[in-house]
Amino acid sequence: MTRLSTLAGTWEPMSYAFLDASAKREVRRRMLKALAIPGHQVPYASREVPIARGWGTGGLQVTLSLLRPGLRVKVIDQGADDSVNAVNLRRFMMRTAAVEQTTDALEADIIQSRHRIPEETLAEGQILVLQVPDPEPLRPIEPDMSTARQMHGDADYGRMWLMLYEQIVRSGRVTQGAAYPAMVNGRHVMTPSPIPRWDLPKLHMARHITFLSAGREKRLHAVPPFTDVRPLVFDDVPFAVEDHATLTCAKSGLRGTFMNEIPLDDGGTLYETSDTGLAIKVLSTQGGTPQPIGTTWYPVTETQP
Amino acid sequence: MTYVASRGGEAAIEQAERLFRAELGPITPRQVDTIRQTLPWLIDRVMGEASLHDRDLAALALAQTGGELYEAVLLLRAWRTTQPRLAVAEVVHLDQTFAHRRISAAFKDLPGGQILGPTLDYSHRLLATDVLDGQTVTPPAVESADMPGAALLPALTDWQKAQGLIDDPTPASVAPDDIPDLTREPLLFPAARAHRLQSLARGDTGGMLALGYSAQRGYAAAHPTVNELRLAEAEVRVRHPDGTPFSVGRVRLSSCEMVSKTTNPDTKAEYLKLGFTATLGWNEVKVIAGSTLDLNMQTGGARPATNEEFVLSHVEPVEASGFCIHLKLPHYVTFQSALDALRGIRRDGGQVRSADEVMEEAEARTAAARNTMEPAQ
Repeated sequence: MTRLSTLAGTWEPMSYAFLDASAKREVRRRMLKALAIPGHQVPYASREVPIARGWGTGGLQVTLSLLRPGLRVKVIDQGADDSVNAVNLRRFMMRTAAVEQTTDALEADIIQSRHRIPEETLAEGQILVLQVPDPEPLRPIEPDMSTARQMHGDADYGRMWLMLYEQIVRSGRVTQGAAYPAMVNGRHVMTPSPIPRWDLPKLHMARHITFLSAGREKRLHAVPPFTDVRPLVFDDVPFAVEDHATLTCAKSGLRGTFMNEIPLDDGGTLYETSDTGLAIKVLSTQGGTPQPIGTTWYPVTETQP
Repeated sequence: MTYVASRGGEAAIEQAERLFRAELGPITPRQVDTIRQTLPWLIDRVMGEASLHDRDLAALALAQTGGELYEAVLLLRAWRTTQPRLAVAEVVHLDQTFAHRRISAAFKDLPGGQILGPTLDYSHRLLATDVLDGQTVTPPAVESADMPGAALLPALTDWQKAQGLIDDPTPASVAPDDIPDLTREPLLFPAARAHRLQSLARGDTGGMLALGYSAQRGYAAAHPTVNELRLAEAEVRVRHPDGTPFSVGRVRLSSCEMVSKTTNPDTKAEYLKLGFTATLGWNEVKVIAGSTLDLNMQTGGARPATNEEFVLSHVEPVEASGFCIHLKLPHYVTFQSALDALRGIRRDGGQVRSADEVMEEAEARTAAARNTMEPAQ
């Protein structure tokens, strides 16, 4: 008589990369659908993971379903590799799946990020996973997801345009800060997640894949390579990125990167490059250990710090 | 150098977690046992919100989190989601449950009787401060009734259906594996009946109470009566591969039916409408609030408690608590972006590039990037 133990696999307390095979299969199927319909929000089951909801569980589920041993993973939060939650998510990936970590955007196979896209242009084959708190760009005008879903189906974006128009009428300009809505492939309006406007043009005709996943809201969407991504703007009111191009990083001397603004005791202000992976490579090069710096989306120059 | 950069945050979160755990001290099997035995109502509440009936695991989760309820529920949910589904249990009918407590506010007496069971409803809420002076307070012994109560009690709705007071729709015949499962599928609206009841079963007791209470205070249409409230034990019966059904054990279960008089908008006929909620563990306030919400969501309307999407989206304990505490995470990129917009308004203009310029630049850069991997200058 065959014993059950000979038929069953070895019991493990946890699956590779935490999610069980059926959960991964479901997420992967939704990801493929999201790639097939750029910018369209695909609902998914969104399993609980051992991280609090709202702390990157959507991005984490996408990343976990892609991991395999030997992949190099970069995890950033607000542009920084050492931000506490980025460290925690990276620790979880290392603990549950034998992957390698890197802080170099050029050598990462997967970059999971909250609120930033690296300054160095990502290449074909790389995957950017953005954590998304609210996948619904229509939420300011329509809180019911079921109604918003219908509006996307009808490409009914009139009220969205009206919202932007009212901002201009009231304030003289579009007041939207981060998470600027964008039209994807000429069909679906998506939120690019709360990245600064500075980062939004990096998604247009990008060579890498971007997945945007909201674990709490159970929706994911994607921007496949070489996809048209345009901010929603009126012909006569230009899209403006944050006015950071002329700022200089106090540590690395870099100009042309998105900056963190640090208030000083004396009432003054200091600026630091938000993309710590890039800043550290530049600092390392300046210190005599050259590091390869990739093509950047914006012209980046070095000045004396 | 990159390693150094990531060490600051890593050391900080490691020590912060140690500090939390050090204040709790060691977790012992004895402590878990004590929690399970002395805090059954808390265990039940956590089991319900976790939708996982396991007293040992619930007690362990409480020990591990020092009683931080949302953390305890998340621990159990994250554990639950990795477990294989071995079988789908047979449907539990109310009249087949062993009721410890069964009351109805709709009738003075009813088939099977009013069974008060264990409750603090009619207690005087006085603190037993003697205990703090070193005394042991032993509750007086329960005096047995002359006649043992019936093990099984009929469901009140059976009588109401026979009287033609409530509809008796034919149950949809769904294969066990095809029953919609909220833990394996996204919640879409209008929600499947199964998804709605599963949402309420897993719902946050406090959140459901707040919304149910809002309905009671007039922010909803239905003014319900407790038709039947049960705290019971139910056999979990599954089918052996050879086809024989058998019980794998009992779970504690609470259920509540709320009833309200309604007019059918089409036929103008008056009838009684039911709202229902059941959950694992004994948690009366949750099932009363939940069945009130179920009743009001059938009515529909603009009020929070009548809007299914509003209710079900906001009574999810893990999602709601997680997103609330996520506000602690750094947001300085979004804040910086908002500051820039604010300063731009104050500056009244400033140097901005046109959309065409931005997009042309993007296309030119992509084309250039295809041809060269040289860094931009």
